[in-house]
Amino acid sequence: MTSLPLKTLLHSRDLLSAWTMRIIRARYQQSILGGLWAVLQPIAMVTIFTTVFSYFIRVDTGGTPYAVFAYTAIVPWMLFSTAMTDMVDAITGNMNLVSKIYFPREVLVIAALLARLLDFLIAYAVLIVLMLLYGMKVFPVAWAFLPLILLVEFAISLGVGLIGAALNVFYRDVRHMIGLILQIWFYATPIVYPVSLVPDWLRPYYYLNPMVGIIQSYRSVMIDGTVPPPAFAVSAAVSLLVLAAGYWLFKRLEAQFADII
Amino acid sequence: MKPSIEFSHVTKRYRVGLPPLSLRALIQQWRRRYQEQFHNAVNDVSFQLQPGESMGIIGPNGAGKTTILKLLSKVTFPTSGSIRVNGRYSSLIELGAGFHPDLTGRENIFLNGAILGMKKREIQARFDQIVEFAEIGKFLDTPVKRYSSGMYARLGFAVAAHVDPEVLIVDEVLAVGDMAFQRKCYEHMVKMIENGTTMVFVSHNLRAVQKVCARCLVMYRGNAAFEGPTPEATANYSNILRTAAAEYSKTNAGLIESGISQQIMTHEAVIEQVKLLREDGSEALSFQSGENVILQVKVRFNQQVSAPIFACVVRTPEMQVVYDFTTHWANLPTPDFEAGTVATIEYQLKLNLSPGTFYMGVNIAYQDLTRYYDRMDRALDFVVTSNRGSRGIADLQASFRVSSIEPALPEFSEETTA
Repeated sequence: MTSLPLKTLLHSRDLLSAWTMRIIRARYQQSILGGLWAVLQPIAMVTIFTTVFSYFIRVDTGGTPYAVFAYTAIVPWMLFSTAMTDMVDAITGNMNLVSKIYFPREVLVIAALLARLLDFLIAYAVLIVLMLLYGMKVFPVAWAFLPLILLVEFAISLGVGLIGAALNVFYRDVRHMIGLILQIWFYATPIVYPVSLVPDWLRPYYYLNPMVGIIQSYRSVMIDGTVPPPAFAVSAAVSLLVLAAGYWLFKRLEAQFADII
Repeated sequence: MKPSIEFSHVTKRYRVGLPPLSLRALIQQWRRRYQEQFHNAVNDVSFQLQPGESMGIIGPNGAGKTTILKLLSKVTFPTSGSIRVNGRYSSLIELGAGFHPDLTGRENIFLNGAILGMKKREIQARFDQIVEFAEIGKFLDTPVKRYSSGMYARLGFAVAAHVDPEVLIVDEVLAVGDMAFQRKCYEHMVKMIENGTTMVFVSHNLRAVQKVCARCLVMYRGNAAFEGPTPEATANYSNILRTAAAEYSKTNAGLIESGISQQIMTHEAVIEQVKLLREDGSEALSFQSGENVILQVKVRFNQQVSAPIFACVVRTPEMQVVYDFTTHWANLPTPDFEAGTVATIEYQLKLNLSPGTFYMGVNIAYQDLTRYYDRMDRALDFVVTSNRGSRGIADLQASFRVSSIEPALPEFSEETTA
């Protein structure tokens, strides 16, 4: 209980990988398209947004093709939002296990997040194909910073995910609430529009949303070929804070999980 | 040596009724005080197990057995008291925990092993043993949703049994398999104990508990009712059930006891106490097959009673009569008793019974056999143990020898064909 979080995690890394594989294998079992679904969903969304925001309402993306502009952000967003939904259900969905066998419960939540990583990687590979199709090139800075950006995104996802998963054991309202929260969060993040459209007076608060800096960073390394903007530092700081708080709350409530069900 | 399990003064309290977080409870709390109610699933229970010891936990449903297992395996935590489990432990509370129906047997072995705390290389090292024990051979790469429930259970037990724990916690999980599989599991458990594994075993199958555990804890309504050698514990458990049943029928008088015999009990003489004594006079509830015992009955006479007939009856739990003795059939004269006296009567019995649980019944009848003064068909339960390995009801104390071996005489048919 009192051992360091990383030590516990290192100790149960075999369980973590086995449980992650279980989720991935089970997800695409008995489906014809399998892993292709990881790509089909963001492509559908990008098609919709491209139609709306480059033909109906023209959004200024600074010369970047709207499809690329949207896709760079939608794929990381989908990693965040799908993982969030999975993580909230990670404990309640495995109650028969949680109420019978002891293992570090955070494994279930982390595995739910990691299992979405594969979808992300497949979809991001498609982005590179898309960029090449538009005659754009991938900058070396992208390879250097993508892992770091992804790490910060993992931190904020896991932080919120741990809070959601723990609270969902006590109040199933969380599960219904998370869809609503994600919808608001989606529009509070520059995914379908650029930050330049956000009014100046709102900006200081706007940047407190850690997803803003994260999405901006994805765009700057992929599209502009520049290092992440200063907003990324804010994102990293907020994300780590949320992760620490989430872990603390999760561990505090963990002992009661089996009793509440 | 440090004990493997230290369970001291453990109490686990659950809240009963509405969850306090629901809107309904909140409104109730706001309008008038919402009364929180609690239930002690386990109440101040203590026990200790040394390395290599095995203990069974028996008791009726809702006695707190499963809660103890959950506390031991750290799934839930005590409200008060402390629990220490020293050494690597594994729990067999659910066979095939975490199995995913869509994954193959092979994949599920690794998954289940990891959940039970094994490293990947440890599972790899024991993989062949697990597959061999589970007898799933050619179905190894088939999704487990296509397995029969027996195969599923076999695979689940096989993985858990090969975790190689120092402490193994087993719940009533083996009921699913067939007889051959259950026997294999029990044999494996006995072997693990012989190899030094400490084991806590919960079961309703008293025969299985006797096979695996030397010691037992009897739980009743959250309390530790008895702790000691398994035969004594089994007898105690049986008597707890008997008392509970008697209490139940008392509150539901007339509904359950509808036998004619009950209606014609006059209670002019009342059986006050029934005891089984060993030859040395000590009271006991479990005996060796063939042991000489004394059945001691205290009777209070409320009226003047002349030459009543005393009887004792031994029955199996299925209420089959094993032995029925009356002073009338035995042609034994009995005296007259004055009103307001208490008599102690004794039957000397030789328990030539096979191992098992038996019910002792006692009754006192009128001289003319028309009515009973008092009658108890299940006055107490006792257990018979034996190391001769016989089964059944009676112990006929067979011995065996080969008295001769001689060449066989040629058979008639052979002569004719020759």
